[in-house]
Amino acid sequence: MWYHKPVIDKELLQSLPMLKVVASSGVGIDHLDLNLLSSFGVKVSNTPFVVSTDTADLGMALMLASARRLVEGYQMAVSPDTEYFPADWLGVEVSGTTLGIIGMGTIGYKVAQRAKAFDMKILYHNRNQRNKEEESAVGAIYCKKIDDLLQQSDFVILAVVLTPQTRKLIGKRELELMKPTATLINISRGLVVDQDALVEALQNKVIKAAALDVTYPEPLPRDHPLLKMKNVVVTPHIGSATKETRRLMMENMIESMQAALRGLPIPNEVL
Amino acid sequence: RPTIDQELLESLPNLKVIANSGVGVDHLDLRMISNFGVKVTNTPHAVADSTADIGMALMLASARRLVEGCQIAISPDTKYFAVDWLGVEVTRATLGIIGMGNIGYKVAQRAKAFEMKILYHNRNQRKKEEEQAVGAHYCEKMEDLLQQSDFVMLVVNLTPKTHKLIGKRELGLMKPTATLINISRGAVVDQDALVEALQNKIIMAAALDVTYPEPLPRDHPLLKLNNIIIAPHIGTATVQAIRMMAEEAIANMLAVLNGQPVPSEV
Repeated sequence: MWYHKPVIDKELLQSLPMLKVVASSGVGIDHLDLNLLSSFGVKVSNTPFVVSTDTADLGMALMLASARRLVEGYQMAVSPDTEYFPADWLGVEVSGTTLGIIGMGTIGYKVAQRAKAFDMKILYHNRNQRNKEEESAVGAIYCKKIDDLLQQSDFVILAVVLTPQTRKLIGKRELELMKPTATLINISRGLVVDQDALVEALQNKVIKAAALDVTYPEPLPRDHPLLKMKNVVVTPHIGSATKETRRLMMENMIESMQAALRGLPIPNEVL
Repeated sequence: RPTIDQELLESLPNLKVIANSGVGVDHLDLRMISNFGVKVTNTPHAVADSTADIGMALMLASARRLVEGCQIAISPDTKYFAVDWLGVEVTRATLGIIGMGNIGYKVAQRAKAFEMKILYHNRNQRKKEEEQAVGAHYCEKMEDLLQQSDFVMLVVNLTPKTHKLIGKRELGLMKPTATLINISRGAVVDQDALVEALQNKIIMAAALDVTYPEPLPRDHPLLKLNNIIIAPHIGTATVQAIRMMAEEAIANMLAVLNGQPVPSEV
């Protein structure tokens, strides 16, 4: 299945008694009711590792585009009304600033590897601390308390998986702990953020900006406030949207499906 | 601004130094200024990180179609996000850096973290340690770089030698799937040749922080293409860089006025 469709509910499963496997594209499986599928004897697979570098790349792209006001700048460069480029039109630096990574899994770690090359100071918060070698390799400092990370970061990037524990992980309290000059970047799932709290925080300049590849729902209603704010960049969930990666995802999915149909161990099975 | 011409210099007989903010001095007639006994300084250190960052930002935004994507995300006509809407990968692609000075080298440092294969072309080859530190391969012939790169980034300074360095021939040597990124000066590229190359899909896309002139005339063909990102010369447009440039310029000026060694004299 691609991008959460079709919706897998009891009715659908009852109508497909021969269904052996659901091969889901991407790494997130929050859209699947695993207990339900298991009760029908249907196996599930995802494509966990192939999406990692593209998603990390997009996280970096969003951070840079937001900091340097690239979308606004582009609009100025092409606008029919532009007569000159103002000298006092400024963004903020990425190089040398502090990045807080919430969720230091495969994707979060790849973000850290990239951010290190920009001389960024890297803080991270994770269910578990990474080992010393992994931390030193990217110069990442563990923040056991998420508050410490939020208070010190210029850029906060969300790279967690969506679970009941991470739902609305970033709400009013967390946004207020962030610097007023900070930017929130979300490459995980829309539901990790309390969206109404985010709108309020941006409107009241509690934080400076946001860059979101994911929202809830997708797409947002066309009149949603997030779509109208100058200090928000929204992209249409393109974290893994490259030709190369989509091909690999498809190959992985086919491999999983074939293994399931042959009764063999399933690569990338979700248990 | 202001434009430094003969009239202005004649009206300022006590002028000792012109401290330029930024590193490019192609807008200054160095010979004429020298004839008036006026020194010129620039700010090479303040601009390096932010310009390298913009190069990376443009490469990533172009490859992942960020601006287009943003437009889809907010468009009143968008009902759903198409699954087959795709960009291209940056990680593990080949980046060709033309101009491996201070800024070019910082671009290489950043690109290395994206596991990119790095080729570079420069007036002079860099030392082995410097090359190894970023995994960069020297291409003595620019043609070799152009033919192998997925992304070509221009980071040269503008001189008579680099004027229209990239023209029809060079664009023709690039891969049809390649992207040209310009963070140097607009005049380094033959703009008419670039328009033609983009229209005829000789190359895939371009991302330009600089054009000639700036801004472009509002009816210029480059503004109408959909496989191009143009930014309004924001390579150093950050709060931090502007401050650092002012500090570097002031340090240069004070050194000249105090008869001390000048940090960044041109």
